[in-house]
Amino acid sequence: MSLAAEAFVSQIAAAEPWPENATLYQPLREDQILLSDCASSLAVQAYLRMLGLPVRVRCRANAEYMSPSGKVPFIHVGNQVVSELGPIMQFTRAKGHSLSDSLDDVQRAEMKAYMELVNNMLLTAELYIQWCYQNTAAEITRPRYSSPYSWPLNHILAYQKQWEVRRKMNAIGWAGKSLEQVYEDVSQCCQALSQRLGTQPFFFNKQPTELDALVFGHLFTILTTRLTTDELSEKIKSFSNLLSFCRRIEQAYFESQDRDSQSGALDYSKGPSLM
Amino acid sequence: MAAPMELYCWKGDYGLPSVDVDCLTVLAYAKFAGAPLKVHKITNPWRSPTGTLPALKTREEGSLSQPSKIIIQLRKQKYNADYDLSAKEGADTLAFVSLLEEKLLPAVIYTQWVDAKNYVDVTRRWYAEHTPFPLNFLLPNRMHSRQIERLRLIRGDAILEPEEQLEKELYQDALECMTLLSQRLGSHKFFFGDSPSSLDAYVFGHLAPLLKIKLPNAKLQQHLNSLENLQQFCSNILLLYFPSDSREAPSRNTAVHTDAGDFDNEPHKRRNQILSVLFAVAAMLGYAVLSGIVTIHSSRSQLEEPRHDDGDEDDEEQE
Amino acid sequence: MGTVHARSLDPLPMQGPELGVQADDLDVGEAEYEPQQEVLENKDVVVQHVHIDGLGRTKEDILTYEIADVFRAKNLIDVMKKSHDARQRLLRLGIFRQVEVVIDTSHGVDALPNGLDVTFEVKELRRMTGSYNTMVGNNEGSMVLGLKLPNVFGRAEKLTFQFSYGTKETSYGLSFFKPQAGHFERNFSVNIYKVTGQFPWSSLRETDRGISTEFSFPIWKTNHTLKWEGVWRELGCLARTASFAVREESGHSLKSSLAHAMFIDTRNSPILPKKGALLKINQELAGYTGGDARFLKEDFEIQLNKRLIWDSVLSASLWGGLLLPFGDKPTSIADRFYLGGPTSVRGFSMYSIGPQSEGDYLGGEVYWAGGLHLYTPLPFRPGRGGFGDLFRTHFFLNAGNLCNLNYGEGPRAHLSRLAECIRWSYGAGIVLRLGNIARLELNYCIPMGVQSGDRICDGVQFGAGIRFL
Repeated sequence: MSLAAEAFVSQIAAAEPWPENATLYQPLREDQILLSDCASSLAVQAYLRMLGLPVRVRCRANAEYMSPSGKVPFIHVGNQVVSELGPIMQFTRAKGHSLSDSLDDVQRAEMKAYMELVNNMLLTAELYIQWCYQNTAAEITRPRYSSPYSWPLNHILAYQKQWEVRRKMNAIGWAGKSLEQVYEDVSQCCQALSQRLGTQPFFFNKQPTELDALVFGHLFTILTTRLTTDELSEKIKSFSNLLSFCRRIEQAYFESQDRDSQSGALDYSKGPSLM
Repeated sequence: MAAPMELYCWKGDYGLPSVDVDCLTVLAYAKFAGAPLKVHKITNPWRSPTGTLPALKTREEGSLSQPSKIIIQLRKQKYNADYDLSAKEGADTLAFVSLLEEKLLPAVIYTQWVDAKNYVDVTRRWYAEHTPFPLNFLLPNRMHSRQIERLRLIRGDAILEPEEQLEKELYQDALECMTLLSQRLGSHKFFFGDSPSSLDAYVFGHLAPLLKIKLPNAKLQQHLNSLENLQQFCSNILLLYFPSDSREAPSRNTAVHTDAGDFDNEPHKRRNQILSVLFAVAAMLGYAVLSGIVTIHSSRSQLEEPRHDDGDEDDEEQE
Repeated sequence: MGTVHARSLDPLPMQGPELGVQADDLDVGEAEYEPQQEVLENKDVVVQHVHIDGLGRTKEDILTYEIADVFRAKNLIDVMKKSHDARQRLLRLGIFRQVEVVIDTSHGVDALPNGLDVTFEVKELRRMTGSYNTMVGNNEGSMVLGLKLPNVFGRAEKLTFQFSYGTKETSYGLSFFKPQAGHFERNFSVNIYKVTGQFPWSSLRETDRGISTEFSFPIWKTNHTLKWEGVWRELGCLARTASFAVREESGHSLKSSLAHAMFIDTRNSPILPKKGALLKINQELAGYTGGDARFLKEDFEIQLNKRLIWDSVLSASLWGGLLLPFGDKPTSIADRFYLGGPTSVRGFSMYSIGPQSEGDYLGGEVYWAGGLHLYTPLPFRPGRGGFGDLFRTHFFLNAGNLCNLNYGEGPRAHLSRLAECIRWSYGAGIVLRLGNIARLELNYCIPMGVQSGDRICDGVQFGAGIRFL
């Protein structure tokens, strides 16, 4: 489709209200999904819940390949398919839903900057620990990533993905970092977030914003996922205001709605637990 | 006092102390922190201790090459431009640096290295002219493929081609980022008060090339020009901390006009066309002579026969 | 090295009437031709030696099978016929560029008066032949490099390699073929390949990397092939606007399947046959030797041809297929059947019949298609005896139907489903025969029985291919 036609279609889509059957796709929860994907998916779910937009969660083994950009999660709304938190935010804003309308310009700049901080440091650290740290990669990541496939395809796909991630780490300069340095970076990032949060309930005072959803997604997943060591979640636990922040959001947006809904299959309070 | 450390950087041009984003960042930070560095401005990355630029050579720790590592090293040596920052401001620094690297840097790489016209007219030409022989044939292409690969891996795409959709996305993110920076800066001289910090170094490093290097396809530059305070910010730093380099600006800028560029190319283009046509004709004649289609007899009396021979041999060829 | 001396299989020389006509006397003038010819035909001869000259790397043991029959010739005409047959068999091996037969009387110490020597003068193919082409089409250019090594180890093994490097995709194929000595129809081959395909009617892109081995052997009048294939299939959307049903099929899967194919072909030519019939039955069982896909796939093809008056031919064909998934995994879009197009039910766009979603055709799990054709020579027979013989006009009636196995009510419901809402078309056109493999068609079609969702190609339709309904 030409750019003009795409713009026209997205304008039409923007005018439509949010449908009831909006669906979010992610990899299989029990056996397949990895830490980084689970964090991204939880962030999107938190964001949509904060906006009060209903969405069903479906797990597919090939979610990563179904996504138009190759990254999970992605949402199927009407006949549009949008992947990753950034574009999803733009998409919902075009439909008139936004969490950050009440912020002034400086605050919005800070919010965007902190979101990039989480992407740049936390997400990259998660990817590093998953794929570049030998123990985790061999014991947890590769078996999980390749679990839906049969031999020998499972090995081929797992090694292909690992190679791709390692090349990315090389390109952004993380390849030379040791595990301790990565934990250091995570600490620094959490310290910055903790600083910014201070004693407020949310990052920008009384109302949650996109930043809250993103931070919650990552921190909560790290806290509830067991890897080969507990060091990563220990780093976060050392900041008590971040812990209470996660608890607060979980109680406000996830547990209350779970109590209402009948289906017990969607269990948000537990991330993938391993070992 | 520790022995002076040595910093290897890309050479400067266009009124800048260096043409490379990372080198500018490191140089600016060193000036802000007052670190006494011996600066080597070179154009041959193989001469640097780590093989890439920028590179910091220290006595104890060996050589470091990434800007973040270099800044950490300088801080360890007590050259800390962030000394006065509060904890919150330190957190903001981290956040805004991430914003720069995720949103602005891809667009800067795109506009300098991936956009075809910019790359051929300005970037490749500069590197080809300034790197010594014989590297000037190899290096620009290698850097080109490396930068494209870097951009592709940062974005996580399967393939990367210079196309409208990609350009639109990247530039949109970059424009938004610059607007945000402008809003954060407001009317202050530097991002955190009156003395510059590492965040100022990073912002300067990313924006100054956009400001000073004139590119044919200048969408990013146009937006930057509309943000007065950022422009002022960069020129300010150049004036205060790199006065010697900015004085060279006028003479170089006049040489690089987009019209002049086209005009310079024209005589070359015509010459190249004529040369290639002559070469093709010579090749065809050479082939004709060597394969016997056309025979050249030395004596003049047999002028009639060559033409006859041509006819016969042509007929044989056609059969 | 290079000659094969073969003794006669019959240890005792045959005693024939002592007419003593030597082969050299065959060049006698025409006046004596008639009686000589009669004599020669009835004269008993014995083939004493058969030589094969010009062998290089070919091993001799496989050739003895091909030429064994020559020894059984009883008279001269028989010798000539059997030598001709042996020549065809030697050429069929695919290892000789040229085979010439020389029949001569026996010479030497043990030469019988009616003994003959038959010599096959052969020229072997070169050890390696290559080809290099460039192909352009569909916004993509590619260069294709082919390498062929006939007769690699001396027993008619063939190794071929093809590599295509394009602006968008690369593909390659390596194949090794070995016939059984003496029984060329029994052979086995191993293939390793990577192919990519784009299917705009489904907005699907498919990349297959696979390895397969197959055995072929004849049983009585039928030909059988047993094949094991392991394929790594990668499916993707061709465009951002692909429907969600196709998007759901994207991803990787592994198929490991055993297949059996049988065919009987009594037609006189694969393209535009004048008489004979064809029966092909294929079955494929996937999943029990590994892999993700589990299904049983059956399909068959029947074609009958009968010659009518005035050089016209009536041809009827019937195709059908069934795909049964095992377990609860649904079938993959790459395994299903497709219907419609210039090579299938004419009058409809390529593979554009049946279940679809937002304009992308998803194929079906069971189908049938039938065609009735009347082929006649071109009216007024222009170019008779030459170029005009390549063309035929044909009048056709095609019908077919395609559906999925998701009615859950048993075979009867599906059969009735296939019998209702039949798509059919009729029309006429011109057929051009290309060698012995392919044909081109230009038809005027009128599609009927069109259901909502099908895409039709009303009016003139052009088709090129190998296998037509």
